[in-house]
Amino acid sequence: MNIAEAAKENSFVLLRIGHRRVALPAGQVSELAPPVRLHTFPHTTPLLAGVIVRRGRVVPVIDTEPVLGGKSPMSHRFYLIAHRRVGKASELGAIPVNGECELASGEMQPPAMNSPAYVAGTLAVGEDSLDVLNLDAFSIANSAAGESHGAEASR
Amino acid sequence: MTTATKSAAEPHADSSAKPRRGRCPETVVLFIVANQMFAVAADSVHEIRSTDSIAGTANEIENPELPKVRHTIDRSGRTYYVVNAGMHFGLPVTRPALVLILRQFRAAVLVDRIDRMAEIPGVYPLPLAFTGDERRWYRGLAYLDDSVIPVVEPTGFLTPQEFQRLDGAQKEAARREAEAAVQA
Repeated sequence: MNIAEAAKENSFVLLRIGHRRVALPAGQVSELAPPVRLHTFPHTTPLLAGVIVRRGRVVPVIDTEPVLGGKSPMSHRFYLIAHRRVGKASELGAIPVNGECELASGEMQPPAMNSPAYVAGTLAVGEDSLDVLNLDAFSIANSAAGESHGAEASR
Repeated sequence: MTTATKSAAEPHADSSAKPRRGRCPETVVLFIVANQMFAVAADSVHEIRSTDSIAGTANEIENPELPKVRHTIDRSGRTYYVVNAGMHFGLPVTRPALVLILRQFRAAVLVDRIDRMAEIPGVYPLPLAFTGDERRWYRGLAYLDDSVIPVVEPTGFLTPQEFQRLDGAQKEAARREAEAAVQA
């Protein structure tokens, strides 16, 4: 692994979802999008809030609140757009964030034994230990938790 | 064909929803159910009638097999099952005023109102993140006037299994009716 690859692998975007600070591997992040309109329509998939249109693409918006807790303000919502795997393919997904994102370097530690599937590991930042999100596992691992929310979202 | 198959199989193939290239623009009917707008291909709609105009000819299903289908209507010698679009999509209950009678399927759809007909430049595939019933409900998404509108799949209103159940119940009801008529 060369220096550039190592730097990329050890770079994380720190973001705030609700009241929680979490990290996402920087290599997965596509962009921080401005608070564009969230389009909703009936569906039954848990933990999806709707879609946004960004650069000519329809991007599904992951509703993290039922899992991570904390209500983020609906106004001034930014979207962190990242690549995620869905089965064998990959597509972009957006997470509502409050816009305060920073870059940090560090080595990800394995997750605790009882961590949920959406936690890929932990990252030490200062005195804090932040969960590193695994977006690929997000909707699948938490589909049961978000079942009731999915029904609400479809209304 | 080969390229597309290969691309879909690649683990990192980015399948983010972009409009399908090479698709011709198409004319759609935009309709409203519980304040939610939907689109349906205009050529899949045979007829649009008011619920008042068919009230006299609609037959109530005595023991509905499916809560979303409570009536049938007879048009041109065929029996159409009338699907309440609000119940189908899990939307709040409304008072539908129109019936869209579909062209190639024995189904008609109760909707609140027609917004207009419009031409859409193309259909975006539904993002893969959507894995629920919506994959059967929609052909994809349209982007029109700064709004994302689901483009409904007409065959999604009733599955073949649902048609089978409804047909079975209808036959049984007809048999009971005939028996009752003989006894009388």
